[in-house]
Amino acid sequence: MRDSQLINTGIPALAVLGGLALAAAQYFIWIYAPVEATMGVLQKIFYFHLPLAWWGLISFFMVFCASLLFLITRRSVMDRLAQAAAETGLLFSGLALATGSLWAKAAWNTWWTWDPRLSTTLIMWFIYAGYLVLRQSIDNPQKMRALSAVLGIVAFLNVPLVFLSARMWRSIHPAVFGSGGGGLEPEMMTAVMVSIAAWGLLTAAILLFRVRQLHIKDRIKTLYVF
Amino acid sequence: MGPLLNIRFLCLTHKDLKLILADGSGIVQPVLLGLILVFVFSLSTPIGDEVSAQAAASVFWLATCFALVLVFNTLYSIEETNQARTGLLLSPMPLQHVWLSKAVTGLILLLLAQFFFFPAIIVFLGQELMTGWWTFLGTVLLVDWGLVAVGSLLGALSQGHAARESLLSVVIFPLLVPLLLAGIRMGAHFFGGADDGHLSAWAGIAFAFGSVFTGAAIILFPFVYNEY
Repeated sequence: MRDSQLINTGIPALAVLGGLALAAAQYFIWIYAPVEATMGVLQKIFYFHLPLAWWGLISFFMVFCASLLFLITRRSVMDRLAQAAAETGLLFSGLALATGSLWAKAAWNTWWTWDPRLSTTLIMWFIYAGYLVLRQSIDNPQKMRALSAVLGIVAFLNVPLVFLSARMWRSIHPAVFGSGGGGLEPEMMTAVMVSIAAWGLLTAAILLFRVRQLHIKDRIKTLYVF
Repeated sequence: MGPLLNIRFLCLTHKDLKLILADGSGIVQPVLLGLILVFVFSLSTPIGDEVSAQAAASVFWLATCFALVLVFNTLYSIEETNQARTGLLLSPMPLQHVWLSKAVTGLILLLLAQFFFFPAIIVFLGQELMTGWWTFLGTVLLVDWGLVAVGSLLGALSQGHAARESLLSVVIFPLLVPLLLAGIRMGAHFFGGADDGHLSAWAGIAFAFGSVFTGAAIILFPFVYNEY
Protein backbone atom coordinates (compact mmCIF):
# COMPACT_ATOMS: atom_id res chain seq x y z
CA MET A 1 0.00 0.00 0.00
CA ARG A 2 2.85 2.33 0.97
CA ASP A 3 4.62 1.32 -2.26
CA SER A 4 1.54 2.29 -4.31
CA GLN A 5 1.26 5.71 -2.64
CA LEU A 6 4.93 6.39 -3.19
CA ILE A 7 4.65 5.37 -6.85
CA ASN A 8 1.47 7.40 -7.47
CA THR A 9 2.98 10.61 -6.10
CA GLY A 10 6.39 9.98 -7.66
CA ILE A 11 5.24 9.52 -11.26
CA PRO A 12 3.79 13.02 -11.96
CA ALA A 13 6.64 14.77 -10.12
CA LEU A 14 9.37 12.87 -11.95
CA ALA A 15 7.59 13.13 -15.32
CA VAL A 16 7.25 16.94 -15.06
CA LEU A 17 10.83 17.36 -13.82
CA GLY A 18 12.10 15.01 -16.55
CA GLY A 19 10.20 16.90 -19.26
CA LEU A 20 11.55 20.26 -18.10
CA ALA A 21 15.09 18.90 -17.78
CA LEU A 22 14.93 17.40 -21.28
CA ALA A 23 13.77 20.75 -22.69
CA ALA A 24 16.67 22.47 -20.90
CA ALA A 25 19.04 19.81 -22.24
CA GLN A 26 18.03 20.77 -25.82
CA TYR A 27 19.33 24.30 -25.17
CA PHE A 28 22.65 22.93 -23.92
CA ILE A 29 22.94 20.49 -26.83
CA TRP A 30 21.99 22.74 -29.76
CA ILE A 31 23.00 26.25 -28.58
CA TYR A 32 25.41 26.13 -25.64
CA ALA A 33 27.74 23.30 -26.78
CA PRO A 34 29.94 24.16 -29.81
CA VAL A 35 29.64 22.28 -33.11
CA GLU A 36 32.44 19.72 -33.36
CA ALA A 37 35.04 20.63 -36.03
CA THR A 38 35.40 17.26 -37.81
CA MET A 39 31.97 15.63 -37.58
CA GLY A 40 29.88 18.79 -37.56
CA VAL A 41 26.27 18.67 -36.39
CA LEU A 42 26.24 14.83 -36.53
CA GLN A 43 28.32 14.81 -33.35
CA LYS A 44 25.17 15.95 -31.48
CA ILE A 45 23.99 12.30 -31.62
CA PHE A 46 26.48 11.77 -28.83
CA TYR A 47 24.30 13.76 -26.35
CA PHE A 48 21.50 11.22 -26.87
CA HIS A 49 23.67 8.13 -27.32
CA LEU A 50 25.64 8.42 -24.07
CA PRO A 51 22.69 8.99 -21.65
CA LEU A 52 20.72 6.20 -23.33
CA ALA A 53 23.66 3.80 -22.99
CA TRP A 54 24.27 4.76 -19.35
CA TRP A 55 20.66 4.56 -18.23
CA GLY A 56 20.23 1.33 -20.20
CA LEU A 57 23.08 -0.25 -18.25
CA ILE A 58 21.82 1.20 -14.94
CA SER A 59 18.38 -0.30 -15.70
CA PHE A 60 20.03 -3.70 -16.16
CA PHE A 61 21.76 -3.23 -12.82
CA MET A 62 18.33 -2.48 -11.32
CA VAL A 63 17.06 -5.81 -12.69
CA PHE A 64 19.87 -7.47 -10.74
CA CYS A 65 19.09 -5.58 -7.49
CA ALA A 66 15.32 -6.06 -7.77
CA SER A 67 15.74 -9.78 -8.58
CA LEU A 68 18.01 -10.26 -5.58
CA LEU A 69 15.54 -8.43 -3.33
CA PHE A 70 12.66 -10.46 -4.74
CA LEU A 71 14.35 -13.77 -3.88
CA ILE A 72 15.07 -12.50 -0.34
CA THR A 73 11.78 -10.74 0.47
CA ARG A 74 9.33 -12.32 -2.05
CA ARG A 75 7.66 -8.93 -2.47
CA SER A 76 5.87 -8.80 -5.82
CA VAL A 77 6.74 -5.12 -6.30
CA MET A 78 10.38 -6.17 -6.70
CA ASP A 79 9.44 -8.57 -9.48
CA ARG A 80 7.47 -5.82 -11.23
CA LEU A 81 10.41 -3.44 -10.84
CA ALA A 82 12.73 -6.06 -12.35
CA GLN A 83 10.43 -6.47 -15.36
CA ALA A 84 10.00 -2.71 -15.80
CA ALA A 85 13.77 -2.17 -15.56
CA ALA A 86 14.46 -4.96 -18.07
CA GLU A 87 12.01 -3.46 -20.58
CA THR A 88 13.39 0.06 -20.11
CA GLY A 89 16.98 -1.20 -20.32
CA LEU A 90 16.18 -3.11 -23.50
CA LEU A 91 14.59 -0.04 -25.11
CA PHE A 92 17.37 2.34 -24.08
CA SER A 93 20.24 0.03 -24.99
CA GLY A 94 18.55 -0.67 -28.35
CA LEU A 95 18.34 3.07 -29.02
CA ALA A 96 21.95 3.49 -27.85
CA LEU A 97 23.04 0.81 -30.32
CA ALA A 98 21.09 2.46 -33.15
CA THR A 99 22.47 5.95 -32.44
CA GLY A 100 25.96 4.46 -31.93
CA SER A 101 25.69 2.77 -35.31
CA LEU A 102 24.82 6.11 -36.98
CA TRP A 103 27.82 7.67 -35.25
CA ALA A 104 30.09 4.80 -36.30
CA LYS A 105 29.10 5.18 -39.96
CA ALA A 106 29.96 8.88 -39.88
CA ALA A 107 33.11 8.63 -37.76
CA TRP A 108 34.64 5.26 -38.68
CA ASN A 109 32.86 4.58 -42.01
CA THR A 110 31.30 1.37 -40.71
CA TRP A 111 27.88 0.55 -39.25
CA TRP A 112 29.30 -1.92 -36.74
CA THR A 113 32.66 -2.74 -35.25
CA TRP A 114 33.83 -5.19 -32.60
CA ASP A 115 34.29 -2.91 -29.62
CA PRO A 116 34.00 -3.73 -25.89
CA ARG A 117 31.27 -1.19 -25.14
CA LEU A 118 29.28 -1.91 -28.32
CA SER A 119 29.63 -5.66 -27.97
CA THR A 120 28.84 -5.63 -24.25
CA THR A 121 25.70 -3.57 -24.92
CA LEU A 122 24.60 -5.89 -27.73
CA ILE A 123 25.23 -9.03 -25.68
CA MET A 124 23.33 -7.53 -22.72
CA TRP A 125 20.52 -6.65 -25.13
CA PHE A 126 20.31 -10.31 -26.21
CA ILE A 127 20.45 -11.57 -22.61
CA TYR A 128 17.62 -9.31 -21.42
CA ALA A 129 15.58 -10.02 -24.54
CA GLY A 130 15.91 -13.69 -23.50
CA TYR A 131 14.89 -12.69 -19.97
CA LEU A 132 11.65 -11.15 -21.27
CA VAL A 133 11.00 -14.14 -23.54
CA LEU A 134 11.38 -16.40 -20.49
CA ARG A 135 8.88 -14.31 -18.51
CA GLN A 136 6.32 -14.71 -21.31
CA SER A 137 6.91 -18.45 -21.72
CA ILE A 138 6.01 -19.58 -18.20
CA ASP A 139 2.30 -19.72 -17.26
CA ASN A 140 2.70 -20.35 -13.52
CA PRO A 141 3.28 -16.82 -12.09
CA GLN A 142 5.10 -18.03 -8.96
CA LYS A 143 7.50 -20.14 -11.00
CA MET A 144 7.94 -17.37 -13.58
CA ARG A 145 8.90 -14.82 -10.90
CA ALA A 146 11.45 -17.11 -9.23
CA LEU A 147 13.08 -18.25 -12.48
CA SER A 148 13.17 -14.70 -13.86
CA ALA A 149 14.85 -13.50 -10.66
CA VAL A 150 17.53 -16.19 -11.01
CA LEU A 151 18.17 -15.19 -14.62
CA GLY A 152 18.15 -11.49 -13.66
CA ILE A 153 20.95 -12.15 -11.16
CA VAL A 154 22.99 -14.46 -13.37
CA ALA A 155 22.72 -12.06 -16.34
CA PHE A 156 24.33 -9.17 -14.49
CA LEU A 157 27.10 -11.32 -12.98
CA ASN A 158 28.18 -11.86 -16.57
CA VAL A 159 28.69 -8.15 -17.39
CA PRO A 160 32.32 -7.77 -16.18
CA LEU A 161 33.34 -10.96 -17.99
CA VAL A 162 31.61 -9.89 -21.20
CA PHE A 163 33.30 -6.48 -21.06
CA LEU A 164 36.75 -7.89 -20.28
CA SER A 165 36.58 -10.54 -22.99
CA ALA A 166 35.29 -8.06 -25.57
CA ARG A 167 38.11 -5.61 -24.66
CA MET A 168 40.70 -8.33 -25.07
CA TRP A 169 39.28 -9.17 -28.50
CA ARG A 170 39.91 -5.61 -29.82
CA SER A 171 38.76 -1.98 -29.35
CA ILE A 172 38.55 1.37 -31.21
CA HIS A 173 35.81 3.13 -29.16
CA PRO A 174 36.77 6.59 -27.76
CA ALA A 175 37.06 6.96 -23.96
CA VAL A 176 34.67 9.81 -23.08
CA PHE A 177 35.48 9.89 -19.38
CA GLY A 178 39.16 8.95 -19.55
CA SER A 179 41.84 9.95 -17.02
CA GLY A 180 42.56 13.14 -18.99
CA GLY A 181 38.89 14.06 -19.42
CA GLY A 182 38.58 12.12 -22.69
CA GLY A 183 39.24 15.19 -24.88
CA LEU A 184 35.79 16.81 -24.51
CA GLU A 185 35.43 20.61 -24.43
CA PRO A 186 34.08 21.92 -21.07
CA GLU A 187 30.86 23.16 -22.78
CA MET A 188 30.35 19.74 -24.34
CA MET A 189 30.93 18.07 -20.99
CA THR A 190 28.29 20.34 -19.38
CA ALA A 191 25.80 19.46 -22.13
CA VAL A 192 26.52 15.73 -21.60
CA MET A 193 26.00 15.99 -17.84
CA VAL A 194 22.71 17.92 -18.26
CA SER A 195 21.50 15.31 -20.78
CA ILE A 196 22.41 12.44 -18.45
CA ALA A 197 20.53 14.07 -15.55
CA ALA A 198 17.46 14.77 -17.73
CA TRP A 199 17.33 11.23 -19.07
CA GLY A 200 17.77 9.94 -15.51
CA LEU A 201 14.62 11.73 -14.35
CA LEU A 202 12.73 10.46 -17.39
CA THR A 203 13.98 6.90 -16.77
CA ALA A 204 12.75 7.03 -13.16
CA ALA A 205 9.33 8.27 -14.32
CA ILE A 206 9.04 5.56 -16.99
CA LEU A 207 10.08 2.85 -14.52
CA LEU A 208 7.54 3.87 -11.89
CA PHE A 209 4.81 4.26 -14.51
CA ARG A 210 5.49 0.74 -15.82
CA VAL A 211 5.58 -0.71 -12.29
CA ARG A 212 2.15 0.80 -11.62
CA GLN A 213 0.85 -0.50 -14.96
CA LEU A 214 2.05 -4.03 -14.11
CA HIS A 215 0.45 -3.78 -10.67
CA ILE A 216 -2.91 -2.81 -12.23
CA LYS A 217 -2.56 -5.64 -14.77
CA ASP A 218 -2.08 -8.16 -11.94
CA ARG A 219 -5.11 -6.76 -10.11
CA ILE A 220 -7.29 -7.11 -13.22
CA LYS A 221 -6.13 -10.72 -13.65
CA THR A 222 -7.07 -11.50 -10.05
CA LEU A 223 -10.46 -9.82 -10.46
CA TYR A 224 -11.11 -11.93 -13.55
CA VAL A 225 -10.25 -15.20 -11.79
CA PHE A 226 -12.53 -14.64 -8.83
CA MET B 1 29.21 -37.32 6.00
CA GLY B 2 31.26 -36.10 3.05
CA PRO B 3 31.79 -39.50 1.35
CA LEU B 4 28.14 -40.42 1.95
CA LEU B 5 27.01 -37.28 0.14
CA ASN B 6 29.44 -38.00 -2.67
CA ILE B 7 27.98 -41.48 -3.10
CA ARG B 8 24.48 -40.02 -3.33
CA PHE B 9 25.46 -37.56 -6.01
CA LEU B 10 27.31 -40.29 -7.95
CA CYS B 11 24.18 -42.45 -7.76
CA LEU B 12 22.30 -39.80 -9.72
CA THR B 13 25.11 -39.52 -12.26
CA HIS B 14 25.19 -43.30 -12.62
CA LYS B 15 21.41 -43.45 -13.07
CA ASP B 16 21.42 -40.69 -15.73
CA LEU B 17 24.30 -42.23 -17.66
CA LYS B 18 22.62 -45.65 -17.65
CA LEU B 19 19.35 -44.17 -18.91
CA ILE B 20 20.97 -42.08 -21.63
CA LEU B 21 23.45 -44.66 -22.86
CA ALA B 22 20.86 -47.47 -22.76
CA ASP B 23 19.15 -46.32 -25.97
CA GLY B 24 21.86 -43.90 -27.06
CA SER B 25 19.46 -41.25 -28.38
CA GLY B 26 20.51 -38.72 -25.74
CA ILE B 27 24.08 -38.70 -27.05
CA VAL B 28 23.57 -39.61 -30.71
CA GLN B 29 21.49 -36.48 -31.42
CA PRO B 30 24.06 -33.94 -30.13
CA VAL B 31 26.93 -35.79 -31.86
CA LEU B 32 25.08 -35.92 -35.18
CA LEU B 33 24.03 -32.26 -34.97
CA GLY B 34 27.62 -31.19 -34.26
CA LEU B 35 29.05 -33.32 -37.07
CA ILE B 36 26.50 -31.90 -39.54
CA LEU B 37 27.42 -28.39 -38.43
CA VAL B 38 31.14 -29.04 -39.01
CA PHE B 39 30.45 -30.62 -42.41
CA VAL B 40 28.13 -27.81 -43.57
CA PHE B 41 30.66 -25.20 -42.48
CA SER B 42 33.35 -26.97 -44.54
CA LEU B 43 31.22 -26.15 -47.62
CA SER B 44 31.53 -22.43 -46.92
CA THR B 45 35.11 -22.25 -48.23
CA PRO B 46 35.98 -22.68 -51.92
CA ILE B 47 37.87 -25.88 -52.85
CA GLY B 48 41.58 -25.42 -52.21
CA ASP B 49 41.14 -22.57 -49.73
CA GLU B 50 42.22 -23.03 -46.13
CA VAL B 51 39.89 -22.54 -43.16
CA SER B 52 41.55 -20.29 -40.57
CA ALA B 53 42.38 -21.75 -37.16
CA GLN B 54 40.06 -19.21 -35.50
CA ALA B 55 37.13 -20.17 -37.75
CA ALA B 56 37.76 -23.86 -37.03
CA ALA B 57 37.86 -23.19 -33.28
CA SER B 58 34.60 -21.20 -33.59
CA VAL B 59 32.87 -24.12 -35.31
CA PHE B 60 34.18 -26.54 -32.67
CA TRP B 61 32.74 -24.47 -29.80
CA LEU B 62 29.51 -23.72 -31.67
CA ALA B 63 28.95 -27.46 -32.17
CA THR B 64 29.71 -27.93 -28.46
CA CYS B 65 27.13 -25.27 -27.51
CA PHE B 66 24.38 -26.93 -29.54
CA ALA B 67 25.34 -30.25 -27.96
CA LEU B 68 25.17 -28.59 -24.52
CA VAL B 69 21.58 -27.45 -25.07
CA LEU B 70 20.47 -30.91 -26.25
CA VAL B 71 22.35 -32.75 -23.49
CA PHE B 72 20.92 -30.69 -20.62
CA ASN B 73 17.42 -30.72 -22.03
CA THR B 74 17.63 -34.51 -22.17
CA LEU B 75 19.10 -34.75 -18.65
CA TYR B 76 16.30 -32.72 -17.05
CA SER B 77 13.46 -34.02 -19.24
CA ILE B 78 14.26 -37.57 -18.02
CA GLU B 79 13.03 -36.48 -14.59
CA GLU B 80 9.94 -34.76 -16.01
CA THR B 81 8.77 -37.64 -18.21
CA ASN B 82 9.19 -40.18 -15.41
CA GLN B 83 7.77 -37.73 -12.84
CA ALA B 84 10.90 -38.32 -10.79
CA ARG B 85 11.31 -34.60 -10.09
CA THR B 86 9.12 -34.84 -6.98
CA GLY B 87 11.20 -37.81 -5.80
CA LEU B 88 14.39 -35.80 -6.17
CA LEU B 89 12.86 -32.85 -4.31
CA LEU B 90 11.77 -35.14 -1.46
CA SER B 91 15.10 -36.95 -1.17
CA PRO B 92 17.19 -36.01 1.91
CA MET B 93 20.16 -34.75 -0.11
CA PRO B 94 20.78 -31.03 -0.71
CA LEU B 95 19.29 -29.80 -3.98
CA GLN B 96 22.74 -28.61 -5.03
CA HIS B 97 23.67 -32.28 -5.45
CA VAL B 98 21.11 -32.55 -8.25
CA TRP B 99 22.86 -29.62 -9.96
CA LEU B 100 26.28 -31.23 -9.36
CA SER B 101 25.25 -34.66 -10.61
CA LYS B 102 23.64 -33.21 -13.75
CA ALA B 103 26.76 -31.08 -14.33
CA VAL B 104 29.07 -34.12 -14.04
CA THR B 105 26.84 -36.23 -16.32
CA GLY B 106 26.66 -33.32 -18.75
CA LEU B 107 30.45 -32.99 -18.71
CA ILE B 108 30.92 -36.68 -19.50
CA LEU B 109 28.42 -36.54 -22.37
CA LEU B 110 29.88 -33.29 -23.69
CA LEU B 111 33.41 -34.74 -23.68
CA LEU B 112 32.04 -37.78 -25.51
CA ALA B 113 30.50 -35.51 -28.16
CA GLN B 114 33.72 -33.49 -28.46
CA PHE B 115 35.63 -36.75 -28.95
CA PHE B 116 33.77 -36.97 -32.29
CA PHE B 117 33.85 -33.24 -33.12
CA PHE B 118 37.62 -32.98 -32.85
CA PRO B 119 38.53 -35.46 -35.64
CA ALA B 120 35.73 -33.95 -37.77
CA ILE B 121 37.40 -30.53 -37.43
CA ILE B 122 40.76 -32.06 -38.39
CA VAL B 123 39.32 -33.88 -41.41
CA PHE B 124 36.67 -31.50 -42.80
CA LEU B 125 38.31 -28.17 -41.94
CA GLY B 126 41.91 -29.22 -42.64
CA GLN B 127 43.34 -28.42 -39.18
CA GLU B 128 46.11 -30.00 -37.17
CA LEU B 129 46.94 -29.84 -33.47
CA MET B 130 50.06 -27.68 -33.05
CA THR B 131 50.57 -28.19 -29.31
CA GLY B 132 50.62 -31.04 -26.81
CA TRP B 133 47.55 -33.17 -26.16
CA TRP B 134 47.53 -32.53 -22.42
CA THR B 135 47.44 -28.75 -22.78
CA PHE B 136 44.62 -29.06 -25.29
CA LEU B 137 42.66 -31.42 -23.05
CA GLY B 138 43.20 -29.14 -20.05
CA THR B 139 41.85 -26.17 -21.99
CA VAL B 140 38.81 -28.11 -23.21
CA LEU B 141 38.09 -29.18 -19.62
CA LEU B 142 38.47 -25.60 -18.36
CA VAL B 143 35.96 -24.23 -20.91
CA ASP B 144 33.64 -27.24 -20.47
CA TRP B 145 33.54 -26.55 -16.71
CA GLY B 146 31.94 -23.14 -17.34
CA LEU B 147 29.61 -24.59 -19.98
CA VAL B 148 28.23 -27.34 -17.75
CA ALA B 149 27.95 -25.02 -14.72
CA VAL B 150 25.59 -22.75 -16.69
CA GLY B 151 23.95 -25.65 -18.57
CA SER B 152 23.08 -27.50 -15.37
CA LEU B 153 21.73 -24.35 -13.69
CA LEU B 154 19.58 -23.18 -16.58
CA GLY B 155 18.73 -26.59 -18.09
CA ALA B 156 16.07 -27.05 -15.41
CA LEU B 157 14.67 -23.62 -16.20
CA SER B 158 13.12 -24.45 -19.54
CA GLN B 159 11.45 -27.72 -18.53
CA GLY B 160 7.69 -28.06 -18.94
CA HIS B 161 7.46 -26.06 -22.19
CA ALA B 162 6.76 -27.27 -25.70
CA ALA B 163 9.63 -25.22 -27.17
CA ARG B 164 12.16 -25.93 -24.40
CA GLU B 165 15.16 -26.36 -26.74
CA SER B 166 14.63 -22.98 -28.41
CA LEU B 167 13.90 -21.28 -25.06
CA LEU B 168 17.09 -22.65 -23.51
CA SER B 169 19.13 -21.62 -26.58
CA VAL B 170 17.78 -18.05 -26.44
CA VAL B 171 18.59 -17.77 -22.73
CA ILE B 172 21.91 -19.60 -22.60
CA PHE B 173 23.78 -18.59 -25.78
CA PRO B 174 24.26 -14.86 -24.96
CA LEU B 175 25.40 -15.77 -21.43
CA LEU B 176 28.13 -18.00 -22.83
CA VAL B 177 29.73 -15.32 -25.04
CA PRO B 178 32.77 -14.52 -22.82
CA LEU B 179 33.51 -18.20 -22.37
CA LEU B 180 33.13 -18.86 -26.09
CA LEU B 181 35.50 -16.00 -26.94
CA ALA B 182 38.05 -17.51 -24.55
CA GLY B 183 37.53 -20.98 -26.04
CA ILE B 184 37.85 -19.68 -29.60
CA ARG B 185 41.05 -17.72 -28.91
CA MET B 186 42.66 -20.65 -27.08
CA GLY B 187 41.43 -23.09 -29.73
CA ALA B 188 42.90 -20.89 -32.47
CA HIS B 189 46.24 -21.14 -30.66
CA PHE B 190 46.05 -24.92 -30.53
CA PHE B 191 45.03 -25.30 -34.18
CA GLY B 192 47.13 -22.55 -35.72
CA GLY B 193 50.05 -22.33 -33.31
CA ALA B 194 49.79 -18.52 -33.20
CA ASP B 195 50.03 -16.89 -29.76
CA ASP B 196 48.47 -13.43 -29.40
CA GLY B 197 50.18 -12.97 -26.02
CA HIS B 198 46.92 -13.20 -24.11
CA LEU B 199 46.66 -16.97 -23.77
CA SER B 200 46.94 -17.00 -19.97
CA ALA B 201 44.50 -14.05 -19.74
CA TRP B 202 41.95 -15.99 -21.82
CA ALA B 203 42.46 -18.99 -19.53
CA GLY B 204 41.82 -16.58 -16.64
CA ILE B 205 38.53 -15.47 -18.22
CA ALA B 206 37.45 -19.11 -18.63
CA PHE B 207 38.47 -19.86 -15.02
CA ALA B 208 36.63 -16.79 -13.69
CA PHE B 209 33.52 -17.73 -15.70
CA GLY B 210 33.54 -21.26 -14.28
CA SER B 211 34.08 -20.00 -10.72
CA VAL B 212 31.40 -17.26 -10.88
CA PHE B 213 28.74 -19.53 -12.35
CA THR B 214 29.59 -22.45 -10.07
CA GLY B 215 29.18 -20.14 -7.06
CA ALA B 216 25.97 -18.65 -8.48
CA ALA B 217 24.56 -22.12 -9.23
CA ILE B 218 25.25 -23.39 -5.69
CA ILE B 219 23.26 -20.46 -4.26
CA LEU B 220 20.53 -20.16 -6.91
CA PHE B 221 19.79 -23.74 -7.99
CA PRO B 222 17.26 -24.40 -5.16
CA PHE B 223 15.17 -21.51 -6.56
CA VAL B 224 15.24 -22.99 -10.07
CA TYR B 225 14.63 -26.65 -9.18
CA ASN B 226 11.66 -26.47 -6.88
CA GLU B 227 7.97 -27.30 -6.73
CA TYR B 228 5.82 -24.32 -7.72
